[in-house]
Amino acid sequence: MNKKTMKKYLFILLIVLFALTLGACTGRRVTATGWSGITIKEDIVYFSYGPQVYALDLNNGFQKWAYPEEAESGLDFYAAPVFADEDNQLILASYNSTIYSVDPDTGQKKWDFVIPNGDNEKSRFIASPLVTDQAIFAPSSDNNLYAIDFAGVPLWTFETGDPIWASPTWSEGCECIYLTSMDHFLYAVDPESGSLLWKSEDLGGPVVSQPAVSEDGLILVSTFANEIIALDEKSHQVEWRYHTSDWAWASPVIDGEQVYASDLSGTFYALDLNSGDPLWQIQPGGSIVSAVLVQDDLIYFGTHIEKNTSSLVVVSRDGVIQRNQPINGKLYTSPASDGDTILIAPAEAEFYLIALNQSGVQIWGFPPSDK
Amino acid sequence: MDWIWSEFIGLMITILLFIYDLIGQNFGWAIIIFTVLVRLVTYPLTARQMKSSKAMQEFQNSKEWADIQKKYKNDKETLNRKQMELYQEKGINPLGSCLPLLVQFPVIIGLYRAIILTLAVTPIQLVNLSSHISNGTDLIPINNHFWWMVLSEPERYPIFGIGIPVLAILVVITSYIQTKMISPPQTAGDPGGQGAQMTQAMTLYMPFFMGYLAWSFASGLALYFIATNLATIIQYMLTGQANFKNILPSLPTRK
Repeated sequence: MNKKTMKKYLFILLIVLFALTLGACTGRRVTATGWSGITIKEDIVYFSYGPQVYALDLNNGFQKWAYPEEAESGLDFYAAPVFADEDNQLILASYNSTIYSVDPDTGQKKWDFVIPNGDNEKSRFIASPLVTDQAIFAPSSDNNLYAIDFAGVPLWTFETGDPIWASPTWSEGCECIYLTSMDHFLYAVDPESGSLLWKSEDLGGPVVSQPAVSEDGLILVSTFANEIIALDEKSHQVEWRYHTSDWAWASPVIDGEQVYASDLSGTFYALDLNSGDPLWQIQPGGSIVSAVLVQDDLIYFGTHIEKNTSSLVVVSRDGVIQRNQPINGKLYTSPASDGDTILIAPAEAEFYLIALNQSGVQIWGFPPSDK
Repeated sequence: MDWIWSEFIGLMITILLFIYDLIGQNFGWAIIIFTVLVRLVTYPLTARQMKSSKAMQEFQNSKEWADIQKKYKNDKETLNRKQMELYQEKGINPLGSCLPLLVQFPVIIGLYRAIILTLAVTPIQLVNLSSHISNGTDLIPINNHFWWMVLSEPERYPIFGIGIPVLAILVVITSYIQTKMISPPQTAGDPGGQGAQMTQAMTLYMPFFMGYLAWSFASGLALYFIATNLATIIQYMLTGQANFKNILPSLPTRK
C-alpha cells in the first residue's frame, strides 16, 4: 500500500471513529431507557425489561416464555404487566404505541391495540395500565388516557396537557379514576364516559407518580415541585403539603396511619397520614425513585448511589435501618414479593431480576449466568 | 477524566436550558442560539485556523516552495524532508489549520450528548437530567418539537408518503459549501501534494459523512450542523477569507 492510499484510509478511519463515538452516546447499544415492572401471580413472576416480557418460575427463575419470542428492534417494554381476569389476559404496555394482550400461560398474543396515528417517539406507554372489571385504562406519553375494552376495542380517550407517565388509580370512594399528568394536575375521570368529574388546583410541578387513595378518601401525590400533597376527594381541596428536599418521584405508599414518601436527594420520609406531620426521616445514601414494598413490619426500597451501584434498603416501621445491601445496576424498580421471596430488578446489570430470601441472600438471578 | 467530561456536559445542559427558558421554551432556537454562542467563544481558534491557513497558502505560492517542488519532483522522500525543513525555518505548523478543527470534535460530541440528555423523553433520561435542573420544574417536560421536527429523533419530512431527510440534505449542501469556501485555492507548486490531497478528501467525504450523521441521529444534531456551517460561512465572509472561486470558478481571482 503506498503512502497516498494509506493516508486516505487513515482519514476514513478517523471519521468512522468519530461516528462511533457519537453512536456510543445515543443509546443504540442495549442500554435501558426505563426500568422493569414486576408482577407476581401464584408461582409465576412476570416482568418487562427492554425488548421482551418474561414469565419465570418464582421458585427457580426458569423461563416459561418470553413475549415476543425473539427480541424485535424498536420494541421496548418497561411497564409492569397487569392481569385482566376477563378472558384470562395479561396486558402489556409498550414504548411503540401499542398495548398487547397475551395468554399468561403461554405468552401467545390475543390482540393488540395501536394508538390511531400513534407516533412511536411520542406515544409511549411508560406506565402500566389500570385494569378494572369495566375496562383497561392505559396512560400514554402523548398526553392521553386510552380506555379499551377486553377485546382491544377503543372506548374513549381523555386528554391532559402533558405526557402521562403514571398509572391511574381506581377509587372505591368516588367510583372513578384518578390520573396525574406532567401538566401539574390531578384529574378525576368517569370510567364509563371518560368525562372529567373534577380537576385539582395546579399542584406546582409535574407529577409522574401514581396517586395513592386512603380508606378515608385522602388522595396523595408526590410532585417535582418538591412536595407531597394530600387532597380530600370530597372537597377536592388540598388538606396538607409536606416539603421535600428534592423532586419527589416515587409514589407515596399508605401504611395504616403512616405515609412513606421519598425524593431524589435520597431522603426517605414517614409522615402522619391525617396531618402530614413528619414522624421520622432517614437518608441511607443515593437517590430514591421507586415506591416502597411493605411486608412483615419491614419497609423495602431501592436507592441509586452512582453509575451502576445501588442499594436495597430495609427499614423497620419506626425508621431504623435493618440492612443496606449493595446491588449492581440501577435500582429504580420497586421491590416485589410473594410474601416470602423478595424480587428486585436492577437496570443495566448482569441480572435483570434477582430473587432474594428474607436475609438478603440471592436465590437465583435472571438471565442465568451461563446464558 | 470522567468528572471533567461530566462537568463539561453539565455546563452545556445548563446553558441550553437557560437559553430555552429565556426564549419562551423553544428548544430548536435554543440549539441555534447556543451554536452561535459556541462559534463566538471558539472564535480565537477559528481566527488562528484562518491565519494558519492563509500563511500556509502564501508560503505555498512562494518561489522558494515552487523551486523545491521542481528540484525534487522525482524524489518524494527528499521533497518531504525539505518541505518540513522549510516549514520549521518559516515557523509554520502544517497542522496549524487542522488542530483548531479537531478541538471542535469534543464540542460536537458534548453538544450531542447534552441535547439527548436535555430532551429526556424516557424515565432514565429524566432521572439523569434531574441533577441539572433541581429548581426548574416548570421546564419539564421539555418541548422537543421544532417546526415539523421532533428534535430527539432523526428527521424526515413526509412528501407524498415518503419521508424526505430534508435536514440531512441541507447538512450535505451547507457542509460542501463551507468546506469549499474555506479551502485555499490549489497551489501551482503543489498540485498533488499532501495538503491538496487532504483538502480533496475533506471536500469529498466530509459533507456526506456529516449528512450521514444528520440522517441517522437526532435532528437536534442536524440543526446544530446546519447552524454551525452557516455561522462558519458568515464568519469567513465577514473576515474576507471566503473563497467564492472554489464554488463558482467563473468568478475573477481575488487579489
